[in-house]
Formats: sequence, structure tokens, C-alpha cells
Amino acid sequence: MTEPKQHQSTEPSEAEAIERAKQGDAEAFRLLYDKHKRRVYSLCLRMTANTAEAEDLAQEAFLQLYRKIATFRGESAFSTWLHRLSVNVVLMHLRKKSLPVVSLEETTQGTEDDTQKRDFGADDVALTGSIDRLQLQRAVESLPPGYRTIFVLHDIEGYEHNEIARIAGCSIGNSKSQLHKARMKLRDLLKMNRAEKAEKSRVG
Amino acid sequence: MNCVELQQSLAEVEDGNSLEQRAHLRSCPACSALLRELRLIAAAAAELQSANEPSPRVWQSIQFALREEGLIRPQRNARPTLPSFSARWGSMRWLVPAAAMLLLALGIYVRRASLPTPLTQQAKVLVPVANASDLNDDDLLQEVAADAPAMRTQYEENLRQVNESIRDAQGVVDESPNDPDARRSLMDAYQQKSMLFEMAMDRSLQ
Repeated sequence: MTEPKQHQSTEPSEAEAIERAKQGDAEAFRLLYDKHKRRVYSLCLRMTANTAEAEDLAQEAFLQLYRKIATFRGESAFSTWLHRLSVNVVLMHLRKKSLPVVSLEETTQGTEDDTQKRDFGADDVALTGSIDRLQLQRAVESLPPGYRTIFVLHDIEGYEHNEIARIAGCSIGNSKSQLHKARMKLRDLLKMNRAEKAEKSRVG
Repeated sequence: MNCVELQQSLAEVEDGNSLEQRAHLRSCPACSALLRELRLIAAAAAELQSANEPSPRVWQSIQFALREEGLIRPQRNARPTLPSFSARWGSMRWLVPAAAMLLLALGIYVRRASLPTPLTQQAKVLVPVANASDLNDDDLLQEVAADAPAMRTQYEENLRQVNESIRDAQGVVDESPNDPDARRSLMDAYQQKSMLFEMAMDRSLQ
């Protein structure tokens, strides 16, 4: 997992900021927030596909962090600790909303069959070159919540299947299966998008 | 292994490197293309990490909650003391609420200007707003210190935060002038500053 770039300045190190935050130093809280806000907020936004919800969840994640910071002993990286905490906040939220953290197999059968039929269609649009970031972002947002959770955790956030299984409360096999289906669904969405664009430019 | 079996097997062995998968992929251009596309998606997804910036509202809310819960210990600021607000301004105290009103008016102007306006015009509209973020801050602090010395640190910190929020929000608006969320965040930040001025004035008139 990548870390945000460090600024060349007289700012305290992260370890110093953590120690100062444990003493209730407002500036240290702010420094930690500034360093990790993008990662935490992006995670929340990807998993909920909703700006307002993502902001509320990012806020909740940082508040939980600050409430618990006195218990942080440095056994794991701070960013890992914060990230795991943020994932838990989002998953808890999804469960409260009764959204499936992991898709139910029976609700995805139709999608899978459709996907396989389309894969071997005669007029398939090839997905080559680079994938537009915004298009991919929108496609991820339109995934069913269960697919989206696994895809975000694995392909965007870099979690392994065994970690996802533990966090999301599913089997490793289920995580792998959901990820594959999510990628197939994304492929469909991106291809449809390209086909629509090609059609528009042909007509217009 | 046929095409359907290959697809199903990619869930378990996603890189397509098992013996059976490789044998099928060598003879099937469609499945080879499928595997390439899935890899392309996975690679592009990794680039999405940390792509978004939360609005300044998030930090404001966190800070507020931290203060409410007593988790933040106010910091002493070593800024030099300025002459008293009353001594400097005397009968001009009305400038403080006027400044608050000006901030609000500018904010409203920004919101109106955010409707379909050419980008160059929008940039011009934002220039006076950015300058307004420094409006009479020291005078406000002196006024607070004179009337309620214990509150000065609190106001100072709030002012610093709200000015930072305005700068952050302005930066986002500059980057994405047509983003309604960014403009709303800027408006919120100005409204918070306006509220600070009004609160200080209410206190000084009591």
C-alpha cells in the first residue's frame, strides 16, 4: 500500500504527531488528518458511492481514531491501523443499512449468465489502451454494493483475499469469486461506455 | 478446458497461469483478450487510491466534536499583541458586523456567479473573496480579548481554522470551478467566518 508523499518542512514526524495527539494537541490532530484524509475519504467514497455518506463516514473514522489514539502502541503501521478502522466503520454502516457486504450468490446468477453471453458476442468492443479514470470511477460506483466492497478492498486498496475474508466475514473463496464477478461486470460497463461513445461520434 | 471453464477458473487463479489455463489461452484469442482486459482493469483500479479530497466541512465537524468531547487541549499561540480594538477603532466598532455582512454578501455573490458563467469570469469573481479571508481578524481577537480574555484562544483557533477552510475550499474551487460541491464548501466556510464575527459582536455588545 502506498503512503502519501512527505512534505519537506519543519512539521513533526508522524510518530511525534501521534504522541502529541495523545496529549490532546489540536495541531497534531490536524497534521494526522491532513496526512491521511484523502486515503480515508477515498475509501469511504468508493465503498458507498455517495459523497455525503462518505464525508460522514470519514468523519466518524477519524473521530474513532482520535478517541482510541491513546491505545495505539505502534505494533502495526499507523496508516494500516487507521485504514482497518476506516474499513470497519464503512462495513458497519453498510450492515446497518442492510446492504450486503458480500453479494448473495442467488442475486448474481443472472448477471453472470448475461456476462458470459456478451463475452462472446460478435460485435464486442475491445478494451485496449488506458482506461479513463473517471469512467472507471463511475463504473465502480455503479457496481452492486457487494461486488463493490470486495473490488475496492482488493484492487484499489490492496488487501489480500485472506484479509478481506476476515474483515468482511466471508470465505476466501467467496472473496475471490466476488472479485472476479466485479471485474467482469466492470469490463461490461466499460465496454458499453466505449461502444456508446463510438456510436455517438459516428452519428455526430 | 473450454471458454466457460476458463472464465470460471479465473476466479481462483486470476493470473491465468495454471497449466490448463495456459493451454486454453494459447489457442483462444477471445479468452486471451478477456484476461488482458481484466488485468487492465485491475491495474487502473490501483490508480484510484486516494484520489479524492474531503470538503473542509469534514475537518470542521471533527474539530467541533473533539472539542465537545474534551479531546483537544487548546494550544497557546505566541502571536504579538496588537493595540486594543476599541482604542484603534473607537466609534468604528460597527465595522465588525459590517465585515460579517460583507462576507455573507460576497458568499452569496459567489453562489450566484457559480451558475453557468465562463471560467475566466468566475476566476475574477473569486479574487475579492480570497482577500476577504483576512478581514479584521486581529481586530476581532483584540475585541474578544478585551471583553472575555479567556475566550481569545478559542476564537483565535477558530479563526485560524476557518481561514484555512476558506483557503482549502478556494483551492478546490480554483481547480474545479464548475464543481457545485466545491462552491458549497466555500460558501459554508464563509458562513462560518461570518458567524464567528457575529458571535464576537454579540459578546462585545452584552
